[in-house]
Amino acid sequence: MAATEIELTPDQRLALETELRTLADDEFVLAERYTEWQVHAPTLESDLALANIAQDELGHARLWYDLLEELGYDETDLLWERDPDTFRHATLSELPFPEGEWADAIVRSYLFDVAEGLRLESLEESAYPAIADRVGKIQREEGYHTEHAENWLERLATDDEGGDHLQAAVDRLFPHALALFVPTEPVPFGAETVSGDGAGSQYTDTDALPDAATVEETIVAEGYRTDSLATLGERWLDRVVPTLESHGLRTPVPADGEITDELVPDACGRNGRHTDDWDTLYADFTHTYRELGREDATMIMDRPE
Amino acid sequence: MDVETVKERAGPREFSPADDMPEKYRKAATRMIQFHANSEIMGAYLEKPFIRQAPSIDRKLAFSAKVQDEIGHGQLLYRAAESLGIKTREEMLDELANGEGKFLNCFHYPMESWAEVPMIAFFVDGAAMRRQATLKSSSWEPYAHAMDKVCFEEGFHVKHGEDIMARMATGSRKEQQMLQDAFDEWWPRIIQFFGPTDDKSTHHDFSAEVGLKQKTNDELRNAFLDAYVPKAKSYGLEIPEYPRIEEVGDGEYHVEEDDLDWDEFFTVSKNEYEPGKGQIDSRKAAQEAVDWVRDTIEGDANLPGSQAAPAAD
Amino acid sequence: MIWEVFRQEKPGDYHTHCGNVHAPDREMAKQFAVIQHGRRKPTESLWVVPQEEVGEVDADEVAFGGTTDKSYRWAMAYTSSTEHAKEVIASQQEQEQAEADRQRGDD
Repeated sequence: MAATEIELTPDQRLALETELRTLADDEFVLAERYTEWQVHAPTLESDLALANIAQDELGHARLWYDLLEELGYDETDLLWERDPDTFRHATLSELPFPEGEWADAIVRSYLFDVAEGLRLESLEESAYPAIADRVGKIQREEGYHTEHAENWLERLATDDEGGDHLQAAVDRLFPHALALFVPTEPVPFGAETVSGDGAGSQYTDTDALPDAATVEETIVAEGYRTDSLATLGERWLDRVVPTLESHGLRTPVPADGEITDELVPDACGRNGRHTDDWDTLYADFTHTYRELGREDATMIMDRPE
Repeated sequence: MDVETVKERAGPREFSPADDMPEKYRKAATRMIQFHANSEIMGAYLEKPFIRQAPSIDRKLAFSAKVQDEIGHGQLLYRAAESLGIKTREEMLDELANGEGKFLNCFHYPMESWAEVPMIAFFVDGAAMRRQATLKSSSWEPYAHAMDKVCFEEGFHVKHGEDIMARMATGSRKEQQMLQDAFDEWWPRIIQFFGPTDDKSTHHDFSAEVGLKQKTNDELRNAFLDAYVPKAKSYGLEIPEYPRIEEVGDGEYHVEEDDLDWDEFFTVSKNEYEPGKGQIDSRKAAQEAVDWVRDTIEGDANLPGSQAAPAAD
Repeated sequence: MIWEVFRQEKPGDYHTHCGNVHAPDREMAKQFAVIQHGRRKPTESLWVVPQEEVGEVDADEVAFGGTTDKSYRWAMAYTSSTEHAKEVIASQQEQEQAEADRQRGDD
């Protein structure tokens, strides 16, 4: 069923867009970072594997962006001409890899893939059918990603030097991974997507938007995602903390398991605040588009089903 | 087997690791396949920044897939080279990092703009494919087998490169001009892809006699011009005046070789071209930065599936 | 123990799996394989490999080639021109064949 056939109230649409942007931006930006390992991975075989994971994630981003396109955007609005401040990926995705820090790629992938797996599970029964329809395809590929990360984690952890690299990566990345469960600050509707009768026009202005917590409530209340971020976050901690500890790795989670705001970085991405590395990355990936003065993005494949 | 027997028997896919090959053959084949493998890696290195800079999601996907394939080709080729028993993959990758490993001239030149992408992804890959198709009949069976898979995949690369060029050639004035400028700069290098005329090439004769190589440099260059000059023209590209290229009838071409800068070519080939040295060195830094990971996984040589498999007996 | 056997029909061909034999060690596995798998079909060479050394991953565990659209990897996705060098055409034909085989496998 085409999404456009469903009548959405402005609040419903805002909730839906917010969830889709979160999903798409996380995948796109993480893939962008993963491709940095192409030609630089430790062995030729591991190079091929991570390149494939990058392509999978990009393919997932493409599926989510495509649902936003059904709401009236095009690829240039969503990526190439988009204000970088309106990207909503968690900062986990955008951090550059310190040179040679393969452990960072593995820990990041592990933290992200477990979170994504949980999030996808709670999208399986999404009340928005187009989301539910796409989840299965993505889950099949994510299985490989999680196992890949776990396998590497295990191998690196059995080595002293490997363990030190892993611990440094956990220390650096864990707070940014917590950002994955922070409610997303909504982005105003693009003026071009507001219909003639003006429905939704009130949400073309940032100041008029409800706050992130309210939008998160709508996402769950409408059943676009069946579990709250708080629930997903708990499940995630229950899984990753014992696994990391079993490999001798410490996390910043206190003994009582209570996650406080202080553990999450101020610039966490979900709130529209990013690290300086994001500006550099954005400038780099849009470079050719701007240099050529392009006004559209070349499609090679058909629109996803 | 002595060299004379090798020459007598030399035919497509004739020799395999089960044969007792003379050292002269094994060294010549190693040199050739290692050069080919190195070129895959350095080609991937050169193109990698354009994964990031590709101007659409689909282009980015295609570019990532292409660079992935080139690394995959490196993997196949180093294995084919290793099977000769002269050098291990690690030794060959170290030689590449240290600036001793040689590779194709075209991959020494830095690439700065998207307009240069089709120069590699269409013309150089097209040239490489001309050569690779003939190497499916190489006498070293593992090399020929690697070529089966490389050629299977490479059609995507050339068509992808052409698609990028087609879009620019039918795009804005500015894009068309950028494309022509890139072509002017790269065309002589592309012609030099096949190296100098055979009598100037040092390693050719033996490789041809033992069936490692199937066609001469001249034959391949002609075959390339035959297919790709009309292609360039069909996209509105003007063929630069130099080097002078004369069509001598029946799709045969003659290139005025003195119009090409062979001093630069040989400087490049010896890894002494400054910008190319920068690329070799920065790749080396990247390779060294992950030495620790290789140490970690290669410490487990007795795990099943690791490389310490028993030698075939 | 069980040894998996791979046969190459003629020089230059690939060794492909053709069966297995029971044998106590590598030497005897080779001897048995010569008779069991090489006595009638044209054979240039055989490989024997201990079955327990073979690792397997199958389509239940992993989605080979992925589940999202990866047509960007295939020559057929690029349609800006119909004229190509013969080796490019040959490559595309092989890819079309491989894709057709994959599709059949999905049914």
